[in-house]
Amino acid sequence: MARRSQGTKLHLAVLCLVVSCHAIGLSDLMERASQRSDQLPVLGMFSFSLDSHFPPMGRVMMPRPSMCHTSSLQTPKDKEQALRVSENELISLARSLLLAWNDPLLLLSSEAPTLPHPSNGDISSKIRELQDYSKSLGDGLDILVNKMGPSSQYISSIPFKGGDLGNDKTSRLINFHFLMSCFRRDSHKIDSFLKVLRCRATKMRPETC
Amino acid sequence: MMWRDVGVTLILSLILPVVAQGARHTPPGKPKLTSCRSPDKETFTCWWEAGSDGGRPTTYSLFYHKENSETVYECPDYHTAGANSCFFNKNETSIWVNYNITVVATNALGNNFSDPVDVDVVYIVQPHTPENVTVGVLEDEDGPFLRVSWEPPRKADTRSGWITLIYELRVKLEEAEEWEEHRAGQQKMFNNFSLHSGGVYMVQVRCKPDHGFWSEWSTASYVKVPDYIPRERSMWILIAVFSAFIFLILTWIITLNRSSVKHCLLPPVPGPKIKGFDQQLLKKGKPEEVFNSLVVQSFPPRSTDYEDLLVEYLEVYVNEKQELMPEGKDLRDVGCLESKSQSDNDSGRGSCDSHTLLMEKCGGVESKDESSYEEPELLQGQAGSWERLERGDSQVVDTPDSSDARVKTWPLVFSPSIHGSSDNHHYGTLEMPKQHSTSEITYSVPDHLFPTSTSFPHHHHPEYRDSLGEYSEYRHSRSPSTGVLYHWEAQHHPQAHSNFNIRNLERQKEATGFGLPPSRSMEYVEVQKVNQNQLVLKPLSSHGRGPSQVQFGRAVVDYSKVNGVNNDNVLLLQRQREMAEAGQYCDYREKEGAEAERYPTQQQGKTTKDGPVATQLQESTCLTTSGYVDTVPTMPTF
Repeated sequence: MARRSQGTKLHLAVLCLVVSCHAIGLSDLMERASQRSDQLPVLGMFSFSLDSHFPPMGRVMMPRPSMCHTSSLQTPKDKEQALRVSENELISLARSLLLAWNDPLLLLSSEAPTLPHPSNGDISSKIRELQDYSKSLGDGLDILVNKMGPSSQYISSIPFKGGDLGNDKTSRLINFHFLMSCFRRDSHKIDSFLKVLRCRATKMRPETC
Repeated sequence: MMWRDVGVTLILSLILPVVAQGARHTPPGKPKLTSCRSPDKETFTCWWEAGSDGGRPTTYSLFYHKENSETVYECPDYHTAGANSCFFNKNETSIWVNYNITVVATNALGNNFSDPVDVDVVYIVQPHTPENVTVGVLEDEDGPFLRVSWEPPRKADTRSGWITLIYELRVKLEEAEEWEEHRAGQQKMFNNFSLHSGGVYMVQVRCKPDHGFWSEWSTASYVKVPDYIPRERSMWILIAVFSAFIFLILTWIITLNRSSVKHCLLPPVPGPKIKGFDQQLLKKGKPEEVFNSLVVQSFPPRSTDYEDLLVEYLEVYVNEKQELMPEGKDLRDVGCLESKSQSDNDSGRGSCDSHTLLMEKCGGVESKDESSYEEPELLQGQAGSWERLERGDSQVVDTPDSSDARVKTWPLVFSPSIHGSSDNHHYGTLEMPKQHSTSEITYSVPDHLFPTSTSFPHHHHPEYRDSLGEYSEYRHSRSPSTGVLYHWEAQHHPQAHSNFNIRNLERQKEATGFGLPPSRSMEYVEVQKVNQNQLVLKPLSSHGRGPSQVQFGRAVVDYSKVNGVNNDNVLLLQRQREMAEAGQYCDYREKEGAEAERYPTQQQGKTTKDGPVATQLQESTCLTTSGYVDTVPTMPTF
């Protein structure tokens, strides 16, 4: 409901820009983007409510988070670093991360229905919702970079090499869980970057930050 | 020796467990990391709980390593956050990095590792409580409200956007049990309305990062809402003052117009006013004078007074013997007349045929030539134009002297309300009957001229009976020699029927046997034909209601004024101009005999018991106005 309205807002923003309408300012776009990105981690959290069904052994054999395919992307590690990053880079990072997850989400959505989990139906719908949000956010960010200038349009390409989740039940579950954890973190990163960006862009309304 | 050994062994065996008990040491129990929290997403603290210490002093140490490296670090700060805690400062805190933390409990005998915990700082953010919570009561037009404001916790860096906090507050009256919670979003101020005056409120605030944990509630802030007069009460006071003001104004207005209000509310009872009544005289105690003064010289009205009123009328003279026109004063004559009415079909008009019209008077009735002439006098006076018909031969009914026979055309008097319904309007228009209830003669009076005064002497109340059949009795005394006696029964008509009414009344009183319906309106009799000495009046009813009604409806006047008599045989009728249809006078002659057969046969057929005796009157197309010889039957022919 709220998410969809935000999606529509972004779509409207897109339309507006297409027809050279400058009614929506940068700050508004940022606001909406950050609102949208705010939802990503929430959505990403759902899988962790299903922890009970994951085999305990999975913890040991769980791949390390450093094995996320997006770990190759250099991102700020703390607040000082993050605040030192330029806006262009921030937006670039956000977009790169977002783009990096298009393929994995596709994989997850295709694997979810057959996942050996009692609530794979819920999982499947959540994955689809995630995809929608990612798509709309990506579109909004594209509009944003058009306003920000060409130097902000650089996107790092992060390939995803994971073919499938595995063959046996356990490994599939574990890999699924692992991918979702990677996504959750990256969604947090995107959200933080955009919010920092928003605060920097809206200098006239410091109370929002 | 042996005994010494046993003793030592015994003692040792007793002491040893005790000693051993105290000296049992085990490696410490397994510690457990309870929680790690970061208040600002820049530092974080972890707490653990110790297991059993194993009897030895145990030390705890925390080791961690980050996800990407295997380098194990130890907690840099064990003290800042209290016992069994580890505080990671900014330099050591990385975000979006998994920390694998393990606590080790160590004592002399060994150590014990806790289970490792993976911690990512970004997921464990729980800020401190908001600070500087201020609560105040403010006023606006709707009333007092509570304004709460606060600041983010000092450590949280919201200005750079590193942390985004959303706030929540809760309010309750001090004595209340349940809190009222409100989300404040990212704003740092909140207004709460609908307060209880005079109460003490408690307010608390807390916050949460966009993805994290809620902080603790801030310490309660108390605020007292001052007593205030509720707006409703002040409004009522205003209303009361306003209405009192209005009331005062109204009272003042009424006082000013005292008299007129009094007049309106308590209308004065009209006192009797008798013209000429002199109260002073009465006071003086001379009633005779008082009453004498009441005598009005002008009463009864003289004929001269009415000259202007009446237009024309037939004046019928009654010979002495036959008082066709009863004296006004002698109402009984009317009754008598009625009884003795000749058979004559009067068409209710009281056809002014003098002789025939006039009713025969009872025996008691003297020939009242004079009196009978009074009427004509009156009539004349009223109408102003008397027409006198003189007949050569006197009717039996009428004056014996034919020569004296006069027919007074009466102005239309009788209302043509044949139906028996008192048609006021009709009367009004006709006005005749009421006013002139001259005996047998209907006065034809112009409507407007017809005075409503009942002063008209009821001397002669010709009885005209509506021969329409309404009346049970139709009297017509018919005598070939005598005139036609017209019975004309006047319908009971209030007021206007002065004459006739009276007659009716009289009739009713005296001649109940007549069976005349009291409420009969006046009907006029139609002149059917004129005999030599008679004027045959045809009852109106005979020709049915319809036409008569029609006649009445249209033509106010069904009567035709008799202009004169020709050759003693012809009745010259004059048409009244009041006629609706006929606006002009036209003279028409009546011819006696067959010539004047103008009456529609149907009419004849409908005649009542007594058919028309005399020759029918022939009428021209012109119809006269009221008060004249009824030409109703002829009307349809027109």
